[in-house]
Amino acid sequence: MMAASTVTRIVSIAALPVVGFLVGVLFLGLSRKITARIHRRYGPPLYQPIIDVVKLLTQKENISHGILFDLGILLGLAGALITMVFIPAGGLRPLSASGDFLVVLYLMLLSPLGVALAAGASENPNASIGVSRKFILALGYEVPFLMAALAVMTRFQTTSLLEVVSCQEGSVLDWGVFVLPLPAVATFLILPAMLGIRPFDFAGAPQEIASGPMVELGGKYLAFAAIQGALHTYVVLALFVDLFLGGGASMLTFLAKMLAVFFVGVCINAVLPRFRVEQGLRYLWKWPTILAFFGLLIVALRLE
Amino acid sequence: MDRAEILKTLKSPAKWGQKYSLWAVYFCTGCGVVEIPPVITSRWDAERFGVLPMATPRQANLFLITGYVSVKTLGAIIRTYDQMPNPKYVVGFGSCPVNGGMYWDSYNTIKHLDKYLPVDGWIAGCMPRPEAIFVAVVHLWQMIDKGIATGYERYKDNYEYYQTNQRAILPHLAKFAGAEAAPGRNS
Repeated sequence: MMAASTVTRIVSIAALPVVGFLVGVLFLGLSRKITARIHRRYGPPLYQPIIDVVKLLTQKENISHGILFDLGILLGLAGALITMVFIPAGGLRPLSASGDFLVVLYLMLLSPLGVALAAGASENPNASIGVSRKFILALGYEVPFLMAALAVMTRFQTTSLLEVVSCQEGSVLDWGVFVLPLPAVATFLILPAMLGIRPFDFAGAPQEIASGPMVELGGKYLAFAAIQGALHTYVVLALFVDLFLGGGASMLTFLAKMLAVFFVGVCINAVLPRFRVEQGLRYLWKWPTILAFFGLLIVALRLE
Repeated sequence: MDRAEILKTLKSPAKWGQKYSLWAVYFCTGCGVVEIPPVITSRWDAERFGVLPMATPRQANLFLITGYVSVKTLGAIIRTYDQMPNPKYVVGFGSCPVNGGMYWDSYNTIKHLDKYLPVDGWIAGCMPRPEAIFVAVVHLWQMIDKGIATGYERYKDNYEYYQTNQRAILPHLAKFAGAEAAPGRNS
């Protein structure tokens, strides 16, 4: 019995990064297709991100900028991979223990840190500007996100993501979005910032700072950065579904919920222009923070 | 478009990637800034061919040089080309890079771009319609399939020739990273 569960656990640890990569890439392709349709274009095929990654991986020349550059990219990829095995996804719940929510909160900063190291090693001023913008953005969304996370932990009396999911398993009305409406709305408002899509894509703005931290990446480095981006999208969406939409009984319902959240995000991304840095920070520290703060206050004072 | 043919893809995934994921850095030296933006946005939608505009030469593998090339921009074009990772493809757009066009007698433009960079294909006309870019892209696919879009190899093999021509009009141009370290940089 013990051995069987261990085997299942190892298999799911090995399977989850593959699932996450495929889901992230598929979502990326979907977002390009949906954006194209909103722009009244035909758009690329659904598997265009796979073509891009294959192209980048098979490029004959890969320009490195030193050992820190290589390691930074690897750290970013590893950070995204290790974050995702902590997040319960439908039936798969590989590395869940008590306190894994706190671990995820820490690990989510690992992949931006890796990209920042690589960007710093590339010695390009655009990359440095992009990194500083990325950390300003992180400063903006971490405040409301941590308050919302604290509200979730207080309400469900646990720091385990698995227990948060199992607390919402009853009816639809047990979902976090109904139990904790204000933190849920606040987290939804900062989702574009966490995903780095418009209106919060100033960290990697191609038109202003030549795609920011990615400016010196080419070939397999860019491929790894793209894979890391796909995994990051998966992590953020999965975390939102686990915290506020009741997780999922099976992988299928879980992915369907993720897709629904992502679809709304893509629609916002397709029609909105880009915030300036200080506009983004002002927005993030105003409405989502106020909502998350009152949500936390209500939970703390047991007024619900 | 045989993008979805699995057998052909499995035979050479690299070729599949190179063909259907052309990321372009476009150099609107003067002309072309009217034609390229509609091509990459809603009107002509280059993204359905896998052609995406890229912000930096490091990420790109297709170099569109549109319109006349003045002596000053030639330096920037060569530097951009040297920064792109192999394999990379250059397409001259408009009659000015082909043979000087209406700037034949100008004191400040170059006449034949292929004396300074290896060009894989030309789009003639002054100016060509935006659809001509798609004709060029499809033609480039065929060339990649046959393995004759090898401008980047020609550049390495005949670097002396290209360098002599480049130095003749740009004496202070930095050498590209593969040849030797550029002067003034400590690395």
